[in-house]
Amino acid sequence: MTKADIIIIGGGPTGITAATELTEAGLGVIMVEQRHSLGGAIYRQPVAGVANLPGPAAKRWKVLSDRFYKAKVPVLFGHVFLGIDGDGRVLIEDRAVSKVIQMRAKAVLIATGAVEKIIPRPGWNLPGVSTAGGLQVMMKETGRAPKGRILLAGNGPLLVAVAAQMAKLGNSPVAVIEAGNPLTQMSASIGLMRSPQLVFEALSYLRQMVASGIPWLRASALTGIAQTENGLLATVRDKAEKQMEFRVDRIGLHDGIRSNNFGLPQSYESVTGKPLILHAGDCREALGAGAAEADGQRAARNIITALSATQASSADTIEKHRREHVLLARIFSPAKKSTPLSNLPDGTILCRCEQATVGDLKKLCNRSDTLSGREVKHNGRFAMGACQGRFCADNTAALMAELKPLEPPPKAQDLTGSRWPIRPVSIAALMLAEDGDE
Amino acid sequence: MSRNYIHYAGQEITFNPGESVAAALENAGHISFGKDPLHQPTRYFCGIGACQSCLVRIDGIVRETCITPAAPGMRVESLEVLHD
Repeated sequence: MTKADIIIIGGGPTGITAATELTEAGLGVIMVEQRHSLGGAIYRQPVAGVANLPGPAAKRWKVLSDRFYKAKVPVLFGHVFLGIDGDGRVLIEDRAVSKVIQMRAKAVLIATGAVEKIIPRPGWNLPGVSTAGGLQVMMKETGRAPKGRILLAGNGPLLVAVAAQMAKLGNSPVAVIEAGNPLTQMSASIGLMRSPQLVFEALSYLRQMVASGIPWLRASALTGIAQTENGLLATVRDKAEKQMEFRVDRIGLHDGIRSNNFGLPQSYESVTGKPLILHAGDCREALGAGAAEADGQRAARNIITALSATQASSADTIEKHRREHVLLARIFSPAKKSTPLSNLPDGTILCRCEQATVGDLKKLCNRSDTLSGREVKHNGRFAMGACQGRFCADNTAALMAELKPLEPPPKAQDLTGSRWPIRPVSIAALMLAEDGDE
Repeated sequence: MSRNYIHYAGQEITFNPGESVAAALENAGHISFGKDPLHQPTRYFCGIGACQSCLVRIDGIVRETCITPAAPGMRVESLEVLHD
């Protein structure tokens, strides 16, 4: 069995920062990364011969990665984290040979980042519809803009960034549909002036959007998508409640981000007799790349303190990032009261893996006895499928709360639970796992 | 140069070294990667290995196309393709 002082799950800004700190403190670190390159989604690296997308990310990554490479941290690429079993064994699938390996460590730092929130709309499950972040990481990787007519829709600053980057790569989106109305949020915008880098980045994206003539429909919502012979037909309701249609080839949706903490083992930052388990970065609290670094540093110093019984000094800069995050959320707060999920047509898919619909959930919730999140999962297969609720647990819990307003509102966690494997793994790969302890 | 291709649906699809299988399939114009066991179309969606919407069989093993790098000669099949 492989042993290390510390196993770090995820090679994004949190994992990189923590790994560097811990190695520099003299501890033995192994990093586990599902892809074949580092950076996470935010710093997704271009393939050989392709330039980085414009923006401050490339510079920041160079600073982070230079220090990381100097520390010479061993990285297991193409390895997928499955969880930690009851005996504290860390279970990892080596994808190259389709085999589960078991590792032990004094501490496990989980830095699995964020996932995008996607509010269900009729047709969100059609091919050609992806997350906006999905389009963005593909651009970062390949240096190519997505092909055809593209519509971006949802909520938040990422849509503007993706639109600007698409324009730069030569295929501007036909429009950006934004639920918020950022230009009217004066007080929050002034608050953001204390973060000049963020303002500079936002303005450069906005400038690119304006220069490329990309329509930015604010206080507007994408209400439905239909497949036609000539691509996707998107229905949009604008600020004045006017309905309009866009015929496009692809749609990038994005309604914010949330922690990718589905099924993760609980954190034990100071319990003795077990491996320490820490969650850090976006998977602990989704605040973005700046906070991710700060939180990686915090977690590393907590581990150093716990393992070496010396107090590692830690300046908490996460609060600054949290403040920025709150301001950005205010600037992009939806201009209109969001339409209740219960207004969606019954056939709207909530859980794509299992094809479970709004109507299916209504039927379950119309029973006289109230079902718990866990029961909705077991009886209705919501959050039961291959993605383990990553794209439906929030929405299912929210609709359950709407349908049973007098009951305590369920949480996504009630549906997803906390158990391994957190990712699909073949039985054959599990069978090949070498026999645990010695 | 074109040694860098993968096999999919009877085609040879070229890729740039380092690119994911998803990038190669999309660049070749495949918006859907065939059907899943519930007969729903698979496709690229989240790009980070989370959503499981882009699953295919790669050299016989179910994998996410978005986190699997393309490799010369790789055999990529839809989940629906059955073997005797």
